[in-house]
Amino acid sequence: MSRIGVFVCHCGENISRTVDVERVAAEVGKLPGVAFSTDYKYMCSDPGQGLIKKAIREQRISHVVVAACSPRMHEKTFRKAVEAAGLNPFLCEMANIREHCSWVHEDREEATVKAIEIVGMMVERVKKNRVLPTITVPVTKRSLVIGGGIAGIQAALDIADAGHEVVLVEREPSIGGHMAQLSETFPTLDCSQCIMTPKMVDVANHPRIKLYTYSEVEHVEGFIGNFQVTVRKKARSVNEDKCTGCGVCMEKCPIRKIPNKFDCNLGTRPAIYVPFPQAVPNTPVIDRENCTKFKTGKCGLCQKVCGPGAIDYEQEDRLIVEPVGAIVVATGFDLYSITEKPKGSAIKGYGEFGHGKIPDVIDGLTFERLASASGPTGGKILRPSDGREPKQIVFIQCVGSRAREKGISYCSKICCMYTAKHTMLYHHKVHDGQAYVFFMDARTPGKNYDEFWRRSIEEEEAVYIRGMVSRLYQKGNKIVVMGSDIAVGVQVEIEADMVVLATAVQPRIGADSLAQKLGISYDKYNFYSEAHAKLRPVECATAGIYLAGVCQGPKDIPDAVSQASAAAAKVMTLFAKDQLEREPIVARVREASCVGCFACKKVCAYGAVEEKEIRDRQGNLIKVVAYVNPGVCAGCGTCQATCPSKSVELDGYTDEQMVAMIEAL
Amino acid sequence: MTQAIDTSIYSAVTSAIQAEAQRILSEGQVSAVVGYAPARRKGSAQPVVITEASDAGKLIFSASCVNNLAVYLTKAKKEIPKNGKIGIVVKGCDLKALVGLMGETQLKREELHIIGVPCAGVLASTFQPDKALTTETIAPKCRECDAQLPQGCDFVPPQQPVTQALEKKYAAEIARLEALTPAERWAFWKEQFSKCIKCYACRQVCPFCYCEQCLCDRNKPQMVETSPRPAGNTAWHIVRAMHLAGRCAGCAECERVCPMDIPLNLLNRKMAKELKELYDYEAGFEIKEKGPLSSYDEKDDQSFIK
Repeated sequence: MSRIGVFVCHCGENISRTVDVERVAAEVGKLPGVAFSTDYKYMCSDPGQGLIKKAIREQRISHVVVAACSPRMHEKTFRKAVEAAGLNPFLCEMANIREHCSWVHEDREEATVKAIEIVGMMVERVKKNRVLPTITVPVTKRSLVIGGGIAGIQAALDIADAGHEVVLVEREPSIGGHMAQLSETFPTLDCSQCIMTPKMVDVANHPRIKLYTYSEVEHVEGFIGNFQVTVRKKARSVNEDKCTGCGVCMEKCPIRKIPNKFDCNLGTRPAIYVPFPQAVPNTPVIDRENCTKFKTGKCGLCQKVCGPGAIDYEQEDRLIVEPVGAIVVATGFDLYSITEKPKGSAIKGYGEFGHGKIPDVIDGLTFERLASASGPTGGKILRPSDGREPKQIVFIQCVGSRAREKGISYCSKICCMYTAKHTMLYHHKVHDGQAYVFFMDARTPGKNYDEFWRRSIEEEEAVYIRGMVSRLYQKGNKIVVMGSDIAVGVQVEIEADMVVLATAVQPRIGADSLAQKLGISYDKYNFYSEAHAKLRPVECATAGIYLAGVCQGPKDIPDAVSQASAAAAKVMTLFAKDQLEREPIVARVREASCVGCFACKKVCAYGAVEEKEIRDRQGNLIKVVAYVNPGVCAGCGTCQATCPSKSVELDGYTDEQMVAMIEAL
Repeated sequence: MTQAIDTSIYSAVTSAIQAEAQRILSEGQVSAVVGYAPARRKGSAQPVVITEASDAGKLIFSASCVNNLAVYLTKAKKEIPKNGKIGIVVKGCDLKALVGLMGETQLKREELHIIGVPCAGVLASTFQPDKALTTETIAPKCRECDAQLPQGCDFVPPQQPVTQALEKKYAAEIARLEALTPAERWAFWKEQFSKCIKCYACRQVCPFCYCEQCLCDRNKPQMVETSPRPAGNTAWHIVRAMHLAGRCAGCAECERVCPMDIPLNLLNRKMAKELKELYDYEAGFEIKEKGPLSSYDEKDDQSFIK
């Protein structure tokens, strides 16, 4: 006979405001099997937990029901308390009378009746709970980092420096990400390349970092501590072991007019190329779409001139399986493409700004390439249309960001600061030029940020106009900017030589499909969701997967680096243990009735179902049944829902328990 | 207007089946052949398992060979020898069940010797087994048959069935029901299910209902009410239809054996139609490890998620 203890929590006033907790405790105390019931203001507090432990010892309680908040909040807390008092933790269940009751009802009488029923259901359920032993699984102490921008690089270096192997996967031919494209960085104006490239080299030279560039994550299986990641290493057409990076192939390639994506299509590159001279690895890649050899079968010049014989036109994509224990996602961002309305998107685009039509209307990243010493103009600010130096330049902030009517309501966070920086860079390079900035308001929280912004106005002579621009149009070789100055209340018209748009930061295109491969959640903009906005900002709700950088939300470099180091610390915490304790909520097959249709095996997302032969004592095969590997099972219950003969059940969530709950109603 | 259906090839088909059964049994290729043999009443047929070559002459094929013999390879396999390959006589519709069972690891292709039958159709009912096959007496499933000549068998007699286009009764009935309001449809099915006497003949005859213990027979906890009352009847028929979705290939045996004339195959065909429209999937044509309902693809139709 079970001696169930029921502990009803007031949750301060969160529950007791709408639910008569004393009545709940009294009523459930009358249920068969309930030996003890009480209520307390904060059951999760030390005295609250003490109450449970004392009852277990003194009242010989065999099963515990805590009627309080969601099990997501405190199930672990109470199971630990129960364990400390000598009971198996899985003989403790929570009845959620906060989220499911007090928070969603107003009528005290009705809420109290409902609370009694919720607790009654859990009382019936807990009677059927079995003692479950904790399962331990080994931890593979290697980590995958997806994305080789500054966040991915920082996370990879931190984890590798802590002594663990790291697999870094980058989609582009070189690591570096957006930071490698920047000119100088706020608020100190140090050169981005100068602080970035040494870190890139550290990655390449690190004995514990395995770098896959020009590669993508194809497939992810497994769970925390034991992921199997399949990486697609795209055909580079250049043998990385043989290539010395001499660059002769790139010099000789006859195809030279391909717009260079790294330079925001301002410069050109050959068909065999490295994205930029400081690329890591410094191994070229053949752009098969534009290469004559791949288009017509003729040419082959690069192969002829390559001394070490590294060019390999036959190379194919390779699939490599890497076992890892943790995954850091650092896939970064794309800029809001305002030229056209993205397909199937709620985002409307900015046709009125003429981006894509007027050549001298550019976005902020393109301006970075113009201002960069390694850029297509060697660091001179020149107009893409005619190569002249712009004497009047207009910057427009919040293009896309904070524009609900255009589809994005969030602030991209970095634009106020980089626009202030742009005005300074412009002033340093064009001494007789004048910069204007249209802005809604300047958001400059951060160490030395506001000082930096004020400097752009007070010392670098940028003119800030509070208001938005309604239209841009070409007039001769000028661009007419029509806007309003709401501080003065007048219409403003500026004839500019160049216009720079601070376009919104968005997650990478395809971020949602990667999330589906990883099994992590994302918001309506495709930013990846953290497990808790405040207390678990770098962890995903999916155990063993961590977030770093802009893929989780707009961030500047210091924030991205901090988050990357935080994610690395989480990985190291995980790797500090040899064995991982996990909940024994796993599926179990009833072999007597299993007929081996393996519907469970087909639907198992974790590959946990195996085939098991049942033999008699003479060794004759009787039948083949399903077997769930408890080390691999994630306890999702899909097999239980699929099995036509109900021969597989999830411990802790058996049909018997569920039906007992329904029948208690 | 009633028209006769040409079944003249069936006598030649019978001879060919007998010769093949004689050959594979005497050569020891198989340990048994599952086929049809004449039953007591004139013109009737019944399933038979023969293990001797000398019994091959018992085998026949006629318009009253209605049974889907696939069921004798799964749950009704008491008389089937445990060792050796098994020969089995199948119509095109029955073959689809074999293919499905192979995909569910219940059968292995290499353990079967499949004798396919060129089939012009069978009777809807065997109450009068010597009735001639006509456009009136033919089984509804045969009216929309797409497998008169079974594919991928070990042996198929060379005769070609003469086929004619007939009105598709299931398709017409599904269209009629789809045009009803949900309330009208519910009333229709409620009435149909109210007839059910829970004899479970539909379950026993179905080659896909091969569970050793049906969940309907479980009592701890009881999933489906056992007595023939509305709630339990509806639960059973929904369970049956859902468990067959993406698997049933339309042998229509459930409907044939139902003593209360519940149009069971109509539910199965509606499910098949949904599968075809949503995933371009038809059961029974190739051995598939994963059907559309047990796999996930990013391109899957998600319009039903609202």
